[in-house]
Amino acid sequence: MAAKLWNWRPWAGFGLSLGALAGYVLWVNETRAVFWPALLLFAVAALLLVSGLKRRPREPELYRGKIAGYVLTSLSALILALFGFLVYEVSRVFPEAKNSPQIGQRAPEFSLVDSNGENFTLSQLLSTPITNSGGAARATKGVLVVFYRGYW
Amino acid sequence: MRGIQRNLASLEAAGVKAVAISADTNDESRELCQKANLRFPLLSDRKADVIRSYDLLVPHGGEDDRDISGIAEFLLDSSGTVRWRHFGETKAERLVDEAKKL
Repeated sequence: MAAKLWNWRPWAGFGLSLGALAGYVLWVNETRAVFWPALLLFAVAALLLVSGLKRRPREPELYRGKIAGYVLTSLSALILALFGFLVYEVSRVFPEAKNSPQIGQRAPEFSLVDSNGENFTLSQLLSTPITNSGGAARATKGVLVVFYRGYW
Repeated sequence: MRGIQRNLASLEAAGVKAVAISADTNDESRELCQKANLRFPLLSDRKADVIRSYDLLVPHGGEDDRDISGIAEFLLDSSGTVRWRHFGETKAERLVDEAKKL
């Protein structure tokens, strides 16, 4: 009997699922839109897994790996569930930010009061020099605006 | 926030001021300011108007179902144009690197 062939499709599907999750986790901080490419990768992974599972029973004498396909499919389903959970969590923590000022765009003006009751506007922050405790003034080249979730 | 405080001198040496915005009350900001010994302004956007204008609102994201701001950093040049931005927390060292590029 000839050596059986390696049924690579479940493995590829599993690898793709892992890759989709890893890619999502790596890039979600840059843009939440990374959700769609990851979903596409999961769809391709599912196709590979299903076709791999179908292939073996049809030609069991040709392909080895009795349970590997099922194990890999189950693991991939787990990874997909984890992905779904992450997408849900991210939607609760990260803003959509579709209409956030983009690179090259003018940032919206603001006028807000700080914790000492002092008023700050963006235009005033940009146009006044930096004064540190040493008393020396330095020209302002830019402003870093940080948004944070709050203190609780 | 503490990371920014640690690197505040480096940011200022690059000519960059730092301000932080949240939907906290002034009292909450003062508490954080004192506890973390922050020397840059914490601005209170109680009605979240500014947070909305930057499209960063996370509805019901906070304690007691409060609307809060998502985490984001914008580096503006002297004309107020966005030169760099990032959603989510960034290492302060990275912010210093970006500030030096202005």
